[in-house]
Amino acid sequence: MIIPKEIKQKPLEYLLLALVFLVGLVIYFFIPISSHGQRLVVYFMAASYFLWSIIHHYRRGDLNLSIVVEYLVMALVGIILLSVSLF
Amino acid sequence: MKSKLSYYFIPQEKNNYRAQILKTGFLLFLVGFYLINQEIIKFVGVVKPGVLGYSSEITAQKVLTQTNLQRQNNGLPALKYSSVLSKSATDKANDMFAHNYWAHTSPTGTTPWDFFKEAGYQYTVAGENLARDFYDTESLMEGWMNSPTHKANIVNSKYQEIGIGVVNGTLGGIKTTLVVQHFGLPVTSIASQQETPKQLQPETVSLQNSRILSEEKSNYINPLTINKTVGAIIFVLVIGVLFIDGYFTLKGGINRLTGSNISHIGFLLIIFLFMLYQRQGAIF
Repeated sequence: MIIPKEIKQKPLEYLLLALVFLVGLVIYFFIPISSHGQRLVVYFMAASYFLWSIIHHYRRGDLNLSIVVEYLVMALVGIILLSVSLF
Repeated sequence: MKSKLSYYFIPQEKNNYRAQILKTGFLLFLVGFYLINQEIIKFVGVVKPGVLGYSSEITAQKVLTQTNLQRQNNGLPALKYSSVLSKSATDKANDMFAHNYWAHTSPTGTTPWDFFKEAGYQYTVAGENLARDFYDTESLMEGWMNSPTHKANIVNSKYQEIGIGVVNGTLGGIKTTLVVQHFGLPVTSIASQQETPKQLQPETVSLQNSRILSEEKSNYINPLTINKTVGAIIFVLVIGVLFIDGYFTLKGGINRLTGSNISHIGFLLIIFLFMLYQRQGAIF
């Protein structure tokens, strides 16, 4: 299996992100929660993903405004596409 | 044509080594397109009421059975069917269609308790659950049971009686089925006109409703299907381009200052999964 170079360089950071996603998935699909609770899970995941990106790029030494905006927009894409239509 | 497409999908000098679709401006354009699509759906609902709608196979009988099943699972006695409460529940659903609102209290200030009184139901404790746009009773009950406040009504040991209104109509320009549950503990046992579920009038009523709905099924479009389709296209496009962009960056040994494609793909794939799994229906 080919593991991308960026994962090889910071395996723990990617593991942490995968763990956050896994927790979100388990809560969303396997724990009986209301649609309000599901919305909170999505917000939590988007916020964690954004926070992770800041820490990840800061530690890599390439944190700048364009990268922050990129993650912010990706989080926005996810939240809007899901929440506007479904909640 | 080919070079234009590659400009949008493949990182190269012309797009500063980042697929154009993944640039902030283009992503915001996609979000904007999606929001406009939402507005168009709402607009169609207003201009051409009845073109859009949610089909449903829910009946009052099924809701009653499922409700009592949940109570049984929680060690509670079954609720007795009350035709008086069913009248108040049906009146409430009709009122929401007539005045185009979706809430416990109407825009004119009519509360659920006003419907109880109008129907002639005297209670010491009462409650109301609302639902809309659900296709089947199982999903509807799952929605209610996953909400602590709605569950509290369904498994409330104080209630003895229930009335259910399942009414089809057009709300906000979209055809749908409203389900109203009215719970109560009557002041006296004489005041309640109790019947067994098998003697219900609403069973006939709801069956009629189901028939009407299935006849109309092919005549309207489900707004959720439109939303999911447009959303899925955007997700597949962005995730696909992230893969392509990542592949060419790796292959070409391109060094650039951007976010991690792997984390973007992971995040968007999970949200995409959530969207695919989501079922129709709302509770209040």
